[in-house]
Amino acid sequence: MKIFLSVLILLAGCIGTATAGDNVKVIYKAQKPSYTNPGLVNKSDMILIASPDKSLYFNETSLYCDSMTSTPEGKKALREMQMAAWMTVTPTGITFNKNNSNVPDKKIYQYIEKDNGSATIHEYNEWAKEAGYYTEPFDELQWEIEDSTTTILGFECIKAKADYHGRQWTAWFTPEIPVSDGPWKLRGLPGLILRAYSNDLFLFEATEVNSTDSEVPTIYSTDSYAKIDRKKAFANQEHYNNNREAYLKARYGDVKIVSQGKKEHKFEKLKHAIETDY
Amino acid sequence: MKQYITYLLCMLVAASAAAQINVTGTIIDKEAAEPLAGASVIVKGSDGKIKKFATSKADGGFSLSVPSAAGCRLEVTMMSFERRSLPLDSLSFPVTIYMSPGSALLKEVTVKADRIREQGDTITYNVATFAQKQDRSIGDVLRRMPGIDVAQSGKIQYQGTDINKFYIEGSDLLGGKYGIATNGINHDDVGAVEVMENHQPMQVLAGISFSDKAAINLKLKNKAKATWNVHGDAGGGYSWQPEGAVWYGDLFAMAVMPGFQNITTIKTNNTGQDLSANMMDFFSGGHATDLSKYLSVSLPAVPGLNRTRTLFNRSAMISTNSLWKMGRGEIKAQVDYSFNHVTADATSLTTYFLTEGDRVITENRDGTDRSHSLSGRFIYELNQKTAFINNTLKANVDWDDLKLGIVGSLSNDQTATFPDYYISNDFKLIKRFNRAGGRSHLITFTSLNEWESLPQTLNVTMGEHKLSQHVGQHAFVTRENIAYAFSFKGITVSLDGGVKGYFRSMDSSLDGDMSGLPTDVTKTDFVNVVNTNYFTLYVTPKLEYWIKRVNFSLNAPVSYAAYRFDKSLANRSEGYFSPTLSVNWKPNNKCSFTVRGGTGRSPMSLHLIQPSYIMTGYRSFRRGVDDFYTKSSKSLSTTINFKNTRRGIFANSLIIMSWNHTPYTTVQQLFGDYIAYSYTDAAADGNSLMANGNIGKTLDFINGSCNINGSFSRSKSNIIYDNHGVNSVSTAWSAGAKISGSPASWLGIDYKFNFSSSRLAMNQSRASWLSSMQNEFLLNIIPATGWQWHISGEHYRNELTAGSYKNMFMLDTKVIYRLTKRLELSAALSNILNSRSYNYVTYSDISSFESQRRLRGRQLLFTISLRK
Repeated sequence: MKIFLSVLILLAGCIGTATAGDNVKVIYKAQKPSYTNPGLVNKSDMILIASPDKSLYFNETSLYCDSMTSTPEGKKALREMQMAAWMTVTPTGITFNKNNSNVPDKKIYQYIEKDNGSATIHEYNEWAKEAGYYTEPFDELQWEIEDSTTTILGFECIKAKADYHGRQWTAWFTPEIPVSDGPWKLRGLPGLILRAYSNDLFLFEATEVNSTDSEVPTIYSTDSYAKIDRKKAFANQEHYNNNREAYLKARYGDVKIVSQGKKEHKFEKLKHAIETDY
Repeated sequence: MKQYITYLLCMLVAASAAAQINVTGTIIDKEAAEPLAGASVIVKGSDGKIKKFATSKADGGFSLSVPSAAGCRLEVTMMSFERRSLPLDSLSFPVTIYMSPGSALLKEVTVKADRIREQGDTITYNVATFAQKQDRSIGDVLRRMPGIDVAQSGKIQYQGTDINKFYIEGSDLLGGKYGIATNGINHDDVGAVEVMENHQPMQVLAGISFSDKAAINLKLKNKAKATWNVHGDAGGGYSWQPEGAVWYGDLFAMAVMPGFQNITTIKTNNTGQDLSANMMDFFSGGHATDLSKYLSVSLPAVPGLNRTRTLFNRSAMISTNSLWKMGRGEIKAQVDYSFNHVTADATSLTTYFLTEGDRVITENRDGTDRSHSLSGRFIYELNQKTAFINNTLKANVDWDDLKLGIVGSLSNDQTATFPDYYISNDFKLIKRFNRAGGRSHLITFTSLNEWESLPQTLNVTMGEHKLSQHVGQHAFVTRENIAYAFSFKGITVSLDGGVKGYFRSMDSSLDGDMSGLPTDVTKTDFVNVVNTNYFTLYVTPKLEYWIKRVNFSLNAPVSYAAYRFDKSLANRSEGYFSPTLSVNWKPNNKCSFTVRGGTGRSPMSLHLIQPSYIMTGYRSFRRGVDDFYTKSSKSLSTTINFKNTRRGIFANSLIIMSWNHTPYTTVQQLFGDYIAYSYTDAAADGNSLMANGNIGKTLDFINGSCNINGSFSRSKSNIIYDNHGVNSVSTAWSAGAKISGSPASWLGIDYKFNFSSSRLAMNQSRASWLSSMQNEFLLNIIPATGWQWHISGEHYRNELTAGSYKNMFMLDTKVIYRLTKRLELSAALSNILNSRSYNYVTYSDISSFESQRRLRGRQLLFTISLRK
C-alpha cells in the first residue's frame, strides 16, 4: 500500500510537470470602495496572463470590446449589438436601459502591463475621461517578507508587506508558483501573489489559477493613449469625480446630473483612491 | 560614558557589516545563452524560511546581502525554467547560475475557489473540484468527498451516521427514496453539496430539540434550474454467459422550478445492474404491522463478489415523483413500479474417499425469482416555524414468485409465492406556542393506522409426493399519540403518551401427500390458528437540557401491555421500562463527543408464538415457543467526530457495547431426512463490542481525496443447552483504504482496498482466522479531447480454509467518445478474461467438497448517451 501510494505520488509528480501550457492565467476578484454608494464596494473580475517576459492585467470584456472597436467594421458591429440590446422602442418613445443585457460593454478601462526586460510597469487607463498611460519602474515597490503562512486555493502562501504610493499593502504569495507577479501593479515577490489588500478598502483575491497556452494579450490602439504623469492623472481623476457636472457641461453643453434621490458623494483621496501620494 | 556608548555602537555596526556576505551573480538562460531577467533569487535559511530575495535585472544580474551563509541555500526560480537550489556556503561570488528550460510550474488542472467551506453548521463542498471525468451521477462525486460515504444503493452517511433528510434546492421531494437522485442526477448539474450538521427537519422543533444527524442539500447550477434536465442511455450488445443479447437503458428527467419539482426515471437492463435499490426508502423504519415471512426458500447464495458479476437478471423500473408548493404547504406524489427476474444456480460435489472406491454425491440447485412491486405515496406537508402538519398515505403491493429445482440425493421442485399487500396512513400535527419570556410550548398529535396482509404458499414436489404449505397472516395496527412539550431557558420537558392497538392473526395448514414425511407426524401437527393481539398504554417523559455546549437528554418510556392470545397461550399483562441517557458535547466547531447508555426490557417477537409446525423448506420444519417471554438488554456507546474543513480532514469513531439476555433458545432435531427447529426454555446471554473508525482527507495536489477505515467486532454468547454451557466467541476485524484523484489532466485514478478477517471459537476450541482481501481499481485515460478510456478491475483473495486461498481477477475496459456536448458513444467490454465460474474445492480427512457457481461471462455493450 505504502509503495503503491509513493508510486502514485511520484507518478503524479512526473505527469504534473510533464504537461502544461507555457503561460499562467490567474483570475482575480478585485474590490474597491465605491464613492458614489458609501459603504458598498465595487467588484470586478480581472485576469492576469503572465509569460517569462511580460504580463498583462486586464478585464476580459474590455479587451473583447477593444478588439472589436480596433477596426471600423467591428466597432459598427459592436455598436449595433449594444443598441439592439439596450434600446426598446415603445409607443411612448424609446427607452434606454444599459443594465439588463449580456451584451459586452466596456466599463473597466484599466490595463497594467509589466515588462521584465525594461523592469517597468505601464498603466493604460482613462483618467478624467481622457485615455492616457504612464510608466513606472519596478523598484518603487519593495516588500518585507514576514513569518505568517496560510493556504489559498490549496497553495501554501507567505505574508509580505510593503508601503507603496501612500498605502500599506499586505500580500500573500506562493513560492510554489514561481511567477514574480500579481494583481494590479503588485509584483516582485518570489512567487505569485494570490491575495493582496490594503486596510479594509482594497482587495484582490485569486479565484482560479491555470496554466494556459494563450499568449499575453496586447493592448489595442495604444496610439490613442496620451502619455501622462502618474500623479497628475490621479489628481485629474479626483477633480473629475468631484466636478462631473462641470466636465460634462464643458464637453456637451448644458447638462445636469440628476441623482435619483441621492445626493452626490464626494470623492475623498484617503478613502477612495488606490494611490494617495499625488 | 556617552563616548563609550558611541564607541560600542560603532564597533557593533562595524562587526555586523563585516559579517555581511554579499551574494551577487548573474542568471543565464542556458539554452539561449542569454542573461535572464525577472528570475527570483531567494536565500533560504536552514529552517526553510525566506531570508532575502531579489529579482534578476535585464542583464541577468542580482545582488543581495545576508548576515551569514551557514546552512543557507540559494534558490533561483523562474516560470518555464527548472528550479535551482544550491548551498550558499559552497559558492563564491559573483556566481553564474545557468537555468535550463523545460520544467513547467502548474499541472493543467484548474484550481478554483476553496473545495470545502464551512459556515456555522453548514459545510459546503464544491462539486467541480471533486468530480472526475469518469463520474456520471452526483453519487459518484459524493463518494469522493471526505466525511461523506455513499453505499451502492445511494444511501448517504455523513461522519458515519445516516443522514436524516435529502433536499434538492431546499425541497424534500423524494423523502427516503433519495437513492434515485444520488444515482440519477448528473453531477454536472450540481454546483455545490451542502451538509447541514445537527439538522432538525421539523422547523417547529428548531432550537428545542437536539439532533445529532445531518442533512444534505444539493445546490443546482443556474443552467439546471427552471428547466427540464433530461439524460438517458440506450445500449445493446452480446454476452458470452448467459449467452445471448444484452440491453441496458435508462432515462432520467428532473425539473426544479420554484413551485414544482419532478424527478422521473425509467430503467431497464439484463446486464447485472440491480435496480431494487432505487425503490428503497432509507428513512422508513419498517412497517409497524411487523409481519415477516415464515417460509425460508431462497435462491442459492452467490459468492462474495461484486453484485454485477453474479446477478443474472432482467429488470425494469419506473419511478415518478412530484412536488407542488401550495402557499405554505407542499403536496407530494410518488409512484413506483418495478419488475425483477433473477435466476441463480449452484452445484456442489461431495466426494467420500472410501476403501471400496470413491463415492460422489452431486447436488444442483436451480432457481428463478420473479417479483413485481407497485407502490404509491401521497403526502401533504406544512412546515412552518409555529406549525407542522404532515399526512402521508402509502399503499404497496408486491408479488414475489420463486421456483427452485433441486437435482441430487433428494431431488425436488419447490415453488413459493409471497404476495404482500400494505396500506397505511400517518398523520402528524405539531403546534408551537411562543410565549413572552422565552418559553415555547409544543403540542404534537400523531395518528398512525396500518394494515398488511402477507399470505405465503410453498409447494414441494418430490417424486410422486406433493405437499402444499399455506400460511395466512394479517395485521392491523392503530396508534394515537399526543405529546406536550415546553422549553424554558435551555431545558425542554416533554411528555409523550398514547394508546396502541395491535391485531394480528395467523393460520397455517399443510395439504397433500403426507406419506413422504416421518411417520410420527400427522396433518394436525401442522395446523396453526393463532391470534396475537395486544393493547398498550404508554407514556414517555423526556428531558433535554443545554448548558454551554453540552446537551443532556434523558428518555424514560414506561408502558403497560395487555396481551390476548385467544387460546394458543394464556393471556397476560406486562409492564416495560427502558430509560436511555445521552450526553453530547461540542467544545468547538471541529469536535463533537457523544456518550449514550440505555437499559430496558422488551417483548419477544410475536412471530415465535406458533404451537404447531410449519414446513419452511423442502426439508425443514419450524415450531415456535409455548410461552410468552420478555428479553432484556443494556447498551453503551460513544461517538467522536472531528473535522477540519480548511485542511479537508474528517474523522469519526464509534464504539458500542451491548449486553442482552433472552430466556429461550433454539433447538434442532432430526426427523429422518428432515430438520425440525423449535424453541426451549433455556437462558441465553450474550454481549458484543463493536468499534469502527474512519479518516478522510482531501488531496488537493491531485484534485482528489483519500480515506482509511478500520473496524473490530467481538460478540460472545453463552447458551445453556441440555444442561451444557456453550460459549461461542466470534471475532472479526477489517481495514480498508481508498484513494482517488487525477494526477494529470489526461489521467484519473480510483483505487480501493479492503482486508477483513474473522474467527469463531466455541468452548475454547478456536478455529483459525479466515481472511478475505479485495482490490478494486479504475484508470481513466484521456488520450485526446472527447475521448475517454477506462481500464478497471477487481481482485479477490478469499481464504477458504486455513492457508488455502481462492484468487479471482476480473478485468473490464470501456471506450467513450463524446461526439457533441449532448451525445456520447461508448463501447464496454467487461470480464475480458471471461471467467465464467467461481469454483473451489475444500478437503477434509475423509471427503472433499467442490462448489461451483456461475459468473457473468465476457460481455460487449455499445451505448449511446444523450443529454439535454
